[in-house]
Amino acid sequence: MKRTFGALALLFIFGTLLVVASPQHGLKFGLGGNDWKNYRYTDQYYIDHGVQEVGGMNIVTDIVFDYRGYDTIGEATVLFTAIAGAVALLRPWRGDENGE
Amino acid sequence: MESDMGLIVKTTARATIPLIGIFGSYIVAHGHLTPGGGFQGGATIAGAGILFLLAFGLDEMKNHYNHHIYSSLEGLGGLAFLGVAMLGFSVAFFYNKLWHTGPFLNGKPGTLLSAGYLPIMNLAVGLKVFTGLISAMTAIALYRRWKE
Repeated sequence: MKRTFGALALLFIFGTLLVVASPQHGLKFGLGGNDWKNYRYTDQYYIDHGVQEVGGMNIVTDIVFDYRGYDTIGEATVLFTAIAGAVALLRPWRGDENGE
Repeated sequence: MESDMGLIVKTTARATIPLIGIFGSYIVAHGHLTPGGGFQGGATIAGAGILFLLAFGLDEMKNHYNHHIYSSLEGLGGLAFLGVAMLGFSVAFFYNKLWHTGPFLNGKPGTLLSAGYLPIMNLAVGLKVFTGLISAMTAIALYRRWKE
């Protein structure tokens, strides 16, 4: 009985989420249609000018390494810091016996 | 400590590790033309190294792994990334000067030797990710402190 009620409640929550998240008759996340093109003009800008300004055929690489280069520097720094921390934490400590 | 796997796994790893390495190098080298790039290709090459570590065991890995070389290569990758970003510093940080007025790497878009600093950056980031992931994996395998 309890299990059936739980499953039904889960199904109800899932169905409500499906209705709410549907863009036709529920919440609308962000803009749609022409409004999107008016306010988010940078998307079309990258597609139009990426090859001419940066030179790579892969637009994602253009964005990652040129338009959003600072973000990539931060990403590389995060990777470096994570590996430095892992190596520093996992090395044998002074109190360990028969460490490598 | 017995840490390597059986004959079938070893033979399969011997056959597939070069192919995985070649595929990862292709992803890194063609990062400005096809989907993929430095991060993805470096992770693929690191997958070949992790397969080596899993199949042949830690003792065999210790013979081929030198911590100083891998650490310095990772630092070299990061410094090459920063240095190439500094090249166009007369206009702006991260300005692709090689592509607009550079002496090389400014061919037609779509060829391999084009796109200015993007191939160099892809190589640098691929080297950094590959050596970093191998270092982390070997550290985890080497310094585990639980008893079996």
